[in-house]
Amino acid sequence: MFLIKITLLLFFLISPLKADAIYNLIKIPNLKIYEIKTKNKLKYFSATKPFRLGVKKNITCSNSNEETLKSKYKIIYKNLNRYSHEFLKKINLKYIVLCEDLSISEINTAGIPDSEMKTLILDIKFNKNYFERSIHHEIFHMINDSFSNIFDEEVWKSLNKKKFKYAECSTCTDKINLSTYNKTEGFFTEYSKSTASEDMAEVFSYLMFDKNIVEEKIINDIILKKKVFFLKENILKIDSKFKFDD
Amino acid sequence: MIKKIKVTTLERILLIFVIILAIFTFSSLIILKNKCMFLENYNPDKIKFSKPENIAVLNVPCGNVIIELYPDVSKNAVERFKLLINSKAYDEVAFHRVIKDKLVQAGDLEFGRKNSLDYGKIGTGASGYGTINSELDSNFKFTKGSVGLARTFKNNTEDSQFFIILQDEPLFEGEYTPVGKVLYGLEILKKIKHPDYSEYVLRPDFINTLRMYE
Repeated sequence: MFLIKITLLLFFLISPLKADAIYNLIKIPNLKIYEIKTKNKLKYFSATKPFRLGVKKNITCSNSNEETLKSKYKIIYKNLNRYSHEFLKKINLKYIVLCEDLSISEINTAGIPDSEMKTLILDIKFNKNYFERSIHHEIFHMINDSFSNIFDEEVWKSLNKKKFKYAECSTCTDKINLSTYNKTEGFFTEYSKSTASEDMAEVFSYLMFDKNIVEEKIINDIILKKKVFFLKENILKIDSKFKFDD
Repeated sequence: MIKKIKVTTLERILLIFVIILAIFTFSSLIILKNKCMFLENYNPDKIKFSKPENIAVLNVPCGNVIIELYPDVSKNAVERFKLLINSKAYDEVAFHRVIKDKLVQAGDLEFGRKNSLDYGKIGTGASGYGTINSELDSNFKFTKGSVGLARTFKNNTEDSQFFIILQDEPLFEGEYTPVGKVLYGLEILKKIKHPDYSEYVLRPDFINTLRMYE
């Protein structure tokens, strides 16, 4: 017992001083405040140096130059500003981390949501063709993390054709294309076919980002129409004032 | 016969210089040792308060720190704080977490007491009254001198530990439950013993007393 106490004491005294408030709040090192005075009270941080996260340190992301940050922040701010403070509170989102070349287990990703830490990490250098839409995609994952009981995957799966099966996980498939299908047949993109939650996130992202495509596609796609209805209905259960339009 | 040697002017100057140096060294040793020197000790009796019922006086090694509590901002947290103050629970409890010029934290009633300090567990102790819910809805600004209740990594785990920030911490807004603000004596808190390479203090400073003014 004595030895344990001595070890603990030495650990406290020798461990480096991590006094910065950001690290204490969200446990991500090498960040600085980018903007904290925002309308919906989201607080934006940017990376000052590359960082690694996770138990196996398998999440990595790098710092950006000021110019890239400035231009991408404008886009991110414009899109995230559409979510009210009340809604963000419900989905447990408070902190946005801006960095580039975000990857998890060496697989590039647009964002990593972490409901418990109230944080969304965004890759500001993610493919510019899908960049804005991917912001809303990641927001849906935050929503789903807090309200998984509402977004019942079994109900969602039942909306698909009977023979269709999703992959076991979003990274154990090669269906990763994010381009919009010409012929949707129940799915906006190839990536929608990876898992039920990714499919929901894709539908949500289109609802938020490109209303015209949604309206065009659901005319002849009954499955997609049901999925859009399912999502809209359930999002309004979380926040009756939620607006899908700009 | 011994010949008398005449002291030269240069030798006189040298002697005066040595004496001045000795005085300077000696006095600076005293000054350096006394960390509380040049600090004003605030006497609450000489200050007029608009709400004296919400004034708490924290007495620490370098003097009094006058805190105004805000029951209108965090009703339950202030109620808990007052309960512990009135039971003299904070007396002789350590400032176990101190970050130079940023924050001082105290209030571990289980493992932070002077007579039963437990370095292995300090910061994890409870008051015995249970935890209370976080009160985060106000637009309270965590400017320097703000007093808040500490919590674990999760919300709704506030108990007896409290912190006082020595610089503005806008990121604390909506994260921690505020209980009040230091009105006088923030510079006294800057003299609380802090380590250079850790947040946790070996042989810490202690709260002498913490009392409600009225």
